[in-house]
Amino acid sequence: MKTITLTVNGKKRSVGASPDTPLLWVLRDWLGLTGTKYGCGIGACGACTIHENGRAVRACQIALAEAAGRSFTTIEGLSANVAHPCQRAWLEEDVAQCGFCQPGMIMTAAAFLRETARPTDAEIDEAMANSVCRCGTYQRIRRAIRRAAEEMKNGG
Amino acid sequence: MADNQKTSRRRFLQTGAAALPGLLLAFRLPAQTKTAAVSNGAKNFAPNAFLKIGFDNRITIFVTRSEMGQGVRTALPMMLADELEADWANIELKQAVPGAAFKGIRLRTSGSGSIYGTWLPLRNAGAAAREMLTSAAAQKWNVSPGECRAEKGAILHVPTGRRLTYGALAAAAAKLPVPEKPVLKDAKDFRFIGKPMRRVDGAGIVSGKAVYGLDVKVPGMRYAVVERAPVLGGKLVRWDDAKTKAVAGVLAVVPVTKGFSNGVAVVAENLWAAMKGRERLNVTWDDRENKDFSSESHAAELRKALDEEAFTTRREGAVEAAFAGASTKLEAVYEYPFQAHACLETMNCIADVKTGACEIWSSTQAPEQAQQEAAKLLGLAPENVTVNVALLGGGFGRRLQIDYALEAAELSKAIGAPVQIVWTRADDMKHGFFHSSTACRMRAALDENKKLIAFCHKTASSDLSVLGPPTRDAQKYSEGWVPWGAFDNPYAFAAYRSEYAHVDSPVPTGPWRAVGYPQNVFARECFIDEVAFALAKDPVAFRLELLDAPLLELGRLKIRRAELRRVVETAAEKAGWSQPLRREKGVRRGRGIACNVYHGETLTAQIAEVAVTDDGKFKVERVVCVVDCGQVVNPLGLEGQIESGIVWGLSPALHKPLTFKNGRAEQSSFQDFDVLRMNEMPRVEVYAMPKDTRPTGVGEPSVPPIAPAVANAIFAATGKRLRRLPFDLKE
Repeated sequence: MKTITLTVNGKKRSVGASPDTPLLWVLRDWLGLTGTKYGCGIGACGACTIHENGRAVRACQIALAEAAGRSFTTIEGLSANVAHPCQRAWLEEDVAQCGFCQPGMIMTAAAFLRETARPTDAEIDEAMANSVCRCGTYQRIRRAIRRAAEEMKNGG
Repeated sequence: MADNQKTSRRRFLQTGAAALPGLLLAFRLPAQTKTAAVSNGAKNFAPNAFLKIGFDNRITIFVTRSEMGQGVRTALPMMLADELEADWANIELKQAVPGAAFKGIRLRTSGSGSIYGTWLPLRNAGAAAREMLTSAAAQKWNVSPGECRAEKGAILHVPTGRRLTYGALAAAAAKLPVPEKPVLKDAKDFRFIGKPMRRVDGAGIVSGKAVYGLDVKVPGMRYAVVERAPVLGGKLVRWDDAKTKAVAGVLAVVPVTKGFSNGVAVVAENLWAAMKGRERLNVTWDDRENKDFSSESHAAELRKALDEEAFTTRREGAVEAAFAGASTKLEAVYEYPFQAHACLETMNCIADVKTGACEIWSSTQAPEQAQQEAAKLLGLAPENVTVNVALLGGGFGRRLQIDYALEAAELSKAIGAPVQIVWTRADDMKHGFFHSSTACRMRAALDENKKLIAFCHKTASSDLSVLGPPTRDAQKYSEGWVPWGAFDNPYAFAAYRSEYAHVDSPVPTGPWRAVGYPQNVFARECFIDEVAFALAKDPVAFRLELLDAPLLELGRLKIRRAELRRVVETAAEKAGWSQPLRREKGVRRGRGIACNVYHGETLTAQIAEVAVTDDGKFKVERVVCVVDCGQVVNPLGLEGQIESGIVWGLSPALHKPLTFKNGRAEQSSFQDFDVLRMNEMPRVEVYAMPKDTRPTGVGEPSVPPIAPAVANAIFAATGKRLRRLPFDLKE
């Protein structure tokens, strides 16, 4: 099969998958990056959220053919040693329960904070409302986002 | 090769010490416990199944429950490590899996029982090891054990300050007899128990490295999706796979019919090919007898059953006489519709069947059952089936079923290769073991002096998930405490009756977080409010009055009314029940209360505050939850579980249910079966009563009170009674 080349976490990767394969499965099954999660496959839950140029996109909604030549960052590439302010805040606030949604939550929050440095509570709620946490960790996610925003403001 | 194939080496690491004072555990999927038996040779001290102490001071604790977000990989080791006086930094965790090493030790994760079920076994395990290590040190020094003290992974000889680490003492300790009744620590001496501890596996989760069932890869593994009978109970007749097999990567199309499911599996080199191949399948089904079933007609049958004879499960006082002589009779029907679990990680399982053996990798709450049932299906001895438990992306009762494991076992045997079956979201939504639909008729009799003289709670549902098949034996329902929340109604009435009517349904049902409680507590706590209103009494004061009575004993169940009373009082105080709510133009606010006793153990009371706007919309703004669960093991875990249960119970109050039409589930994903989202999340405050008694469960108890607390708050704000979920103020 013809290979398609894209950049993931700063590395060029050539993938010999069918061009209609959603990027979600390319990441998970071809590149072994299982931190990007499958929750619905239709863009309704946010578990597969990754970054393209710092903006949040849903890996289940991008076919490999469309991903050709583009550059993406997954949760594995967000930071070295869980150093991103969101990851640190998530640990500090002990957010995760089952944790399955949290990589997507963190990627969503990280992209949001990049564009909205000083978010209001309403803005946080709106930005995160398209992501599902079935364990209901929302209260701690709110706290973690406020903490991360504070840390980023202080240059952390 | 994925993480699970490597040797498991998990050490507590310190990460960014300044910002993160907690100790974090680098998580990997556990290696199979076969290695436990092997390494139980000469290199460590293993006084029991839960614990190994290496000569290198490394302590391995086996976690005997599945981690599904309730924090067992943190809380269970805390209990053992506390008694052991272990150095938390030297602890590694391994997941216990069914097999010889854990014979007779429960691994099933259900009933909010992870903490209370392991509280004594784990503490005993740690204390026994501590006593043996102390004796070993005392013998070495030729001193009395009474002069020695265990401290942070070492034994200290107090008078001389001599110190030997557990690793140095392990060989000598291993030669000593295991004490049968080790002395447990006093609560005042706890070092870990009762102190907030962050999740030990948090770093793995936030870095995307945590391995859930869906993330496990086995060498040579194929992927499969199964097309299951669309109509409940339908059967496979034949299929045409010509177009499926034309999809690049598709390897085989195989029937799967031996376990619970009835369908056809598409096996492929990769999951996407399997999914595409399935879309091109042309299957002929025999829809059989359920093709006209609908949840609407089932709900009508439930309401009808409320008019018919049912099984009385509890009766006190002269109920009929009270109604015959009543001056006022109140009656209302409450309904709770079908719900899906919608765990964010869909069902999945890997099986690798070889000659005479099978290995399974699964995110399951029921590893013993998966082992037993897979063995039966394959005609193997259970000990030849290895079940590896991965992290669960949510369980909530759905993963107590093992249908996915049987599918994988049957399929792997058929194709002669390891295979992962993955359920898509639509598969998961349409082929679950759902929360049953329920109708309750509530009746109350008041006398001419405005006094409540009788209270009746009759429940009709198809739910027998915890009892087994329907029965004509009323005694069995009483012994099963059915209906949960009605049988064990905590209030003291002059006359009381609970009844249960079983209505058949083709919908597979099963435990759904809090199981029988949410639907019955919704009806009971709302109706108590209706009675309070009829008597012109304050809802909190009325409950306190009804709880001002002696301990209620119902067989093994002990309903501690006095303590529930204190929980209700505390909730009222923390919520500011008597304080006015914020006034705002165009907004009506109200508070509502509900309380419950979970199987005679955990007590909860919740007070919800809602704001209703003129357009008929409402928002739950604040929830205060007070819980009495005995000794709190991990306050951070407790708070998380309570918040989580409130979200769980609020979702069906705010969002549409699962419905059936023409024998099929109508919903397929979060766009039509939605769950609570961030913008709907109330501010939640959690308070635990200070206790040092045996811990009781907290995974489920906060689910039942939230819907009635919100309904009662809406009534307080608007005067409108809501008697079915989801709440629709325009109805």
